[in-house]
Amino acid sequence: MARGLRLSSELIAGVLVGAVLGWGFDRLLSTSPFGFIVFFLLGFAAGVLNVVRSAGIAPDRSRQ
Amino acid sequence: MAESHGEAKGTASAHTEAEGGHGFPPFQKETFPSQIVSLVITFVALYVIVSRLALPKVGGVIDARQKAIDGDLAEAQRLNDESEAAMKAYESELAAARARAQAIGAETREKLAASSDAERKALEDSLAAKLAAAEKSIATTRATAMSNVRGIAADAASAIVQQLTGKAPAGKTVEAAVDASLKGTA
Amino acid sequence: MIDPIHQFHLNKIFTIGHIGNQEIAFTNSTAYMLLAVVLIAGMMLAAGRALVPGRFQSVVELSYEFVANTLRTSAGSHGMTFFPLVFSLFMFIFVSNIVGIIPYTFTVSSHIIVTFSLALLVFLTVIIYGFYKNGLKFFKLFVPSGIPAVILPLVVVIEIISFFSRPISHSVRLFANMLAGHVTLKVFASFVTMLGALGFVGKVGALLPLGLTVALTGLELMVAFLQAYVFTILTCIYLNDAIHPGH
Repeated sequence: MARGLRLSSELIAGVLVGAVLGWGFDRLLSTSPFGFIVFFLLGFAAGVLNVVRSAGIAPDRSRQ
Repeated sequence: MAESHGEAKGTASAHTEAEGGHGFPPFQKETFPSQIVSLVITFVALYVIVSRLALPKVGGVIDARQKAIDGDLAEAQRLNDESEAAMKAYESELAAARARAQAIGAETREKLAASSDAERKALEDSLAAKLAAAEKSIATTRATAMSNVRGIAADAASAIVQQLTGKAPAGKTVEAAVDASLKGTA
Repeated sequence: MIDPIHQFHLNKIFTIGHIGNQEIAFTNSTAYMLLAVVLIAGMMLAAGRALVPGRFQSVVELSYEFVANTLRTSAGSHGMTFFPLVFSLFMFIFVSNIVGIIPYTFTVSSHIIVTFSLALLVFLTVIIYGFYKNGLKFFKLFVPSGIPAVILPLVVVIEIISFFSRPISHSVRLFANMLAGHVTLKVFASFVTMLGALGFVGKVGALLPLGLTVALTGLELMVAFLQAYVFTILTCIYLNDAIHPGH
């Protein structure tokens, strides 16, 4: 359970930050909803990156 | 569990602002400022206590222990070195003493041999001297005895001749005759 | 059914003051935060100074050495600048987690705002110290080496999002673990009382959830330590980024 919570929190955090950034981007430049979509996807990518890193599959730069 | 969790989350996000005390507690926004303020005050207090008092104290104790251990180890090493050095010094001294003893022994042996040689020689010399003296004294004794014998023989001869002939022979003739007979026997 | 969420309620004890329109209350959460601080400070300051430590002093020194080693291995000797911060974080989370396992207590770290504030503290420390120490070189953190120039902008954006997601995952992990653990414990414990009320058969049946509750309490003790440790080691890793961003 601990591991699952850890990995899911990584993914959720990535997606959430992406979504917030996209929303802010849209608010500032009134590009809604494209900013949100793009950043949401990027956030998903970042979340996957986080998960992969914290699962120890990909080399983690910050641990070296 | 998951159900109540999700449900509570939903109600919390929907109603937090409207209904203060309900919903899922960790997501009630109106409690956030109180918690942040509490956390800031307590955490800053903790940080100050930890960084100013607690850590220097514990760190100091640990450092002091480490230093004591290092000091003790260094001391033990020093003592060990010292005892090793003492051992080495003792061994070298022992070797030197042994060598000296051998030298002294050899010297003594030589000296003794020399002195006994000298003694023997002196003894032999004195014995030879005594022998020579004895031989000499024998020779003189014999010569004296011989001359006594000649006197006695001459006297006896003249007495015998006087008995036989009735008149004393001339001393010189008797002595010559005695000498001649002595030479013949001797 | 006993409400498993009830344990997370904040109860106002008295009002400290107001910031703007917002009432700042002294709650049970505040009390448990204070309790954690008092416990840590009392433990550390009461520990002896003996050359050969007793049990109590050993515990204090063990925690000191543990955090110091964690920080040194993750962030290098330079990271020791942050030793008081990391030690405070670890002890605060660890003690409040452990206190929270005791029945009828309140778990400070089961509130997202608390864990998020702590994570934000680490995050801001990393950013401020990173720029203070490295200047613009701190941006190297977002530019991994060995990436083709074509997809580099995309990677940089992903890295930035990943970087900003840190305080969230950092705090959600601790919060979710504590919350889920305490809810599970409460649910199983309530099964015991519910089954226990159903006569003899129920009492026998209650043994199973009782055993599970005991086992879960053991697990939660481990989780309390583990999550404090995970929070600490991630703090160390993030601080390492602030100190050596080029890696």
